[in-house]
Amino acid sequence: MVQYFSNAFHYDHPWAKVQMGMWQKYPNPQCAHVISVDVLDRTIDPQTGIIRTERLLGCKQAAPAWAVKFLGGTEDAYVREVSFVDPITKTTTIESVNLSLSDYLTVVEKITYVPSIAFPKTRTTFRQTAEIQARPKLWKSVGCQIELMSLDRFKQNAIRGKEGFEGVLRRLFGGDDNTQDAA
Amino acid sequence: MAHSLKPECTPLKHKYDACFNAWFEGYLQPLSAPALAGGAAAKPLTQEAREAAQRGKREEYERTCGKVWEAYRGCLSGALTEKRLDDLLQQAREENPMLEPESPESARQR
Repeated sequence: MVQYFSNAFHYDHPWAKVQMGMWQKYPNPQCAHVISVDVLDRTIDPQTGIIRTERLLGCKQAAPAWAVKFLGGTEDAYVREVSFVDPITKTTTIESVNLSLSDYLTVVEKITYVPSIAFPKTRTTFRQTAEIQARPKLWKSVGCQIELMSLDRFKQNAIRGKEGFEGVLRRLFGGDDNTQDAA
Repeated sequence: MAHSLKPECTPLKHKYDACFNAWFEGYLQPLSAPALAGGAAAKPLTQEAREAAQRGKREEYERTCGKVWEAYRGCLSGALTEKRLDDLLQQAREENPMLEPESPESARQR
């Protein structure tokens, strides 16, 4: 069984500014409490100009403490993230997957940022999907419960991530998008 | 800016991030005539001119950030093994190398 999550909204900042902000704060629901961010690899495609970046994010463990203990995980959790920024088509795609506890549960998150169709110069559309899947190694019954709990946690963090990133964009570039400050 | 997972690499990481961010801002500017010598009025670039401008920007990145990138990478080497992350990373890369972006069409449909 797989749990799905999807979400879409917009930022009241142009695409280029959202991209600049992206490197300065990480609003990943899988990684709400970032401890470290490292760039493992970065290349620029000579044909397309697309920048591919592979990063390793260290976060405070997102799984419930009892589950971490039960599964023998460590306190810190790590997420692999690969992003593609296409300056010509103005499209950013990001995919991330948890490394920690991945024998038991995988959370694959996909994000795109594109200029809004209605207001391409001032607004950026954000789309996000996540697939949460327990691996066979986890008991089926426990697995489903953990999937649901993870989904719940993911939803909460997705909201915090959006609010947090809006705060960063406002600090960097100003603007009054009438949203609340980061929690 | 966030720390490195290996604390002693954090200063180099910050230096690299600052270099990349400054370059990236320029990279996202639309490629137009002023990016080229001569500065003709802004009009759609020929394929050749666009490629030349892009090549120029890639070379600028190598020139300005290449050294600090190598230093940061050198500092980080070994840290993944120490944290026992290299096997997990290898496994994730084998499962999904993510070498190419999804096509914009399929990404937009989601």
